[in-house]
Amino acid sequence: MAKKITRRNFLKSTVVGGVAAGMGFGSYQITYGQAKKPAGPIKIGGQGAISGAHADYGWQMMAGATLAIEEINAKGGILKRKLELKFMDEELKPATAVKNVRYLATEWGADFLFGVDSSGSAMAIGPVLPEVNRLHFFCHAATHRLTEELVAGKGIKQIFRMVVPVYQDALVAWILKDMPEVKRIAGINCDYEYGYVAWNLFKESIKRFRPDVEFVAAAWAPFWTMDFSSHISAVMAEKPDAIFATPWAGEGVMLLRQSLMFGVFDKIHLWWQAMGGSVDLLEGISREIEGDKFKGKLWGTARYIHNYPVSPENKAFVDAFRKRWGKFPNYSAESSYSSIYAIKTGAEKAKSLETDKVATALEGMELKTPAGPRLIRKEDHQAVYTVPAGRAMKSPDYTIPILGDLRVIPAKDYYRHPPFTPVAATK
Amino acid sequence: MLEKLIFQGLIGLSLSMYLWLLAAGLTLVFGVLGVLNFAHGSLFMLGAYATFTFYGKLGLNFWLSILLSLISVGIIGTILERFFIRRIYDLDLPYQLILTFGFILIFDDLVKIVWGGVAMIPPMPHFLEGSLSILGRPYPIYNIFIIFAGVAVAFLLWLILEKTWWGRMIRASASDREMASAIGINIPLLFTTVFVFAAMLAALGGALGTPVRVVAPGIGTSMIIQAFVITVIGGLGNLKGAFVGALIVGILTAFGILLFPVFELFIIFVVMAIVLLIKPEGLFGK
Repeated sequence: MAKKITRRNFLKSTVVGGVAAGMGFGSYQITYGQAKKPAGPIKIGGQGAISGAHADYGWQMMAGATLAIEEINAKGGILKRKLELKFMDEELKPATAVKNVRYLATEWGADFLFGVDSSGSAMAIGPVLPEVNRLHFFCHAATHRLTEELVAGKGIKQIFRMVVPVYQDALVAWILKDMPEVKRIAGINCDYEYGYVAWNLFKESIKRFRPDVEFVAAAWAPFWTMDFSSHISAVMAEKPDAIFATPWAGEGVMLLRQSLMFGVFDKIHLWWQAMGGSVDLLEGISREIEGDKFKGKLWGTARYIHNYPVSPENKAFVDAFRKRWGKFPNYSAESSYSSIYAIKTGAEKAKSLETDKVATALEGMELKTPAGPRLIRKEDHQAVYTVPAGRAMKSPDYTIPILGDLRVIPAKDYYRHPPFTPVAATK
Repeated sequence: MLEKLIFQGLIGLSLSMYLWLLAAGLTLVFGVLGVLNFAHGSLFMLGAYATFTFYGKLGLNFWLSILLSLISVGIIGTILERFFIRRIYDLDLPYQLILTFGFILIFDDLVKIVWGGVAMIPPMPHFLEGSLSILGRPYPIYNIFIIFAGVAVAFLLWLILEKTWWGRMIRASASDREMASAIGINIPLLFTTVFVFAAMLAALGGALGTPVRVVAPGIGTSMIIQAFVITVIGGLGNLKGAFVGALIVGILTAFGILLFPVFELFIIFVVMAIVLLIKPEGLFGK
């Protein structure tokens, strides 16, 4: 009987595997040459953060991909070949991510690659992809530069991004457009590329609608910030009306819980937690949402939310995911699930697994995915689809808080379009 | 502007006192045992996980949970010292680094196996919720609690080291191990107790962070860098130095975020570099 993969078993095997690899036992893995036997399985190598404060994202990515692979295998696989998955810990370190890509592509024999949480890792992997010549479906890394610079600019055709990039984070501009009471805005942002770009894009977007707003303070928090007291205190000293925040996952939870201790929600009109619609973050602050501690002022979005769109595809995915894993899918689960199906669609259209042929097949294609129709834009290989913004709230229909009071802005309005003009990726 | 600075200084003070909890044990072990314990951060992490389990999972009283986590980490500390650290007292520094760094990896992987890799979020005890008005702005009760905890630990350490027989033995063996042994002090037992005491201090730091921080693999490693900076600034092995170092790092970090947000991160490293240039042994080092 096949052993059911649970999160713990998966993490155990990853840890044991990691320790074994670290001890030089990597040669117990599949040897050279075996991977390319035509009758063997199609190998799909993934990676994401499966340790640390952001670990749920990598786990979700693995869970979404596993679900897609199980569904596809149950129906005979792709081009009559079954799929096989190997998932590694990216550790949010570019060097580790590059090492993983090289290992997966050349040693393990992956036919396709997917995953990656960190923008830094994505930008490090990008230039390596032509060398290993594998299509890589990015499921989370959000820097616009991945698709704008590396695909549209440098022509690295192996890169596809299935998830909406940092364009999504600026969506609050469309909400603040109709909130004239907000005049002073402060930022508490990640002290790395994602935070810089999100803040700069937001400033650029809001200025189009509201040239009157002032940016009164900006505090920057590096990875592993645990104590946000100084950041909250510094921006609140400038009496902002709204706060734009990008720390995500566990860091977002800590930031929001600590902001409550400072009575922030008594003083502001709106707090934008860019990735506030992320399942792990909503679960992390569920006690506070149930107690209405945020007073209905906490808004956010995500790169997919499980309660949008209301469509047969989304319902089927959410139900299957909950049945398989016992929890709601986060956006990295949906994007990895859709990535595996994109591989299937591309390979079947191309009738081949060859990188060039599958890439060409996917360009300009519109895929039916749980998040809605996804157009794979030809110029930059960026998936274009709409994700709404909403208010964090408890709903009787769900066991965990959700984003409700949804504001749907069409993707074409808030996406950037080629030809691209540079956005500052600095503070 | 002055009010902003004072308020931010008070925030920095609570950060300082929190960092001090971690730096105190690190510098104590170096000062007495002569061991640079990289795994000190792992003991901090284990203290957080133990408190999360007792308080967040089993629903025990917050204080009892802290006590139980100190005892648990104390037991782990005893095993570490008796079976591993003790064997490297007479070896060169690189052996200490390899051994203690190895334990960081082992503990990180162990917590992943036991608790999983996903961040845990314990609830906040009710008595720590809310804030007091200071300079017309809400100042969290939790931060006040941390300041008191840090000062209490500093006072307790002073009391123990200066006023107790055990403290005298520690000071004697720190200044001359051979002479202390010659006058009848049981050095191996003393070293075990000091190491366990330091481990419990690290666990206390981890435990007191749980109301507002997440518990995840690697949290110790993220903290240990700041603790090292503090001990280097203050002088490795010097408790007074660690206290002053923690004050400098915590308060400068808070001011940096307020006044120089663009290059705040490197301010404390610049301070450390300046201290090392002017007084390589640290502010209170000998």
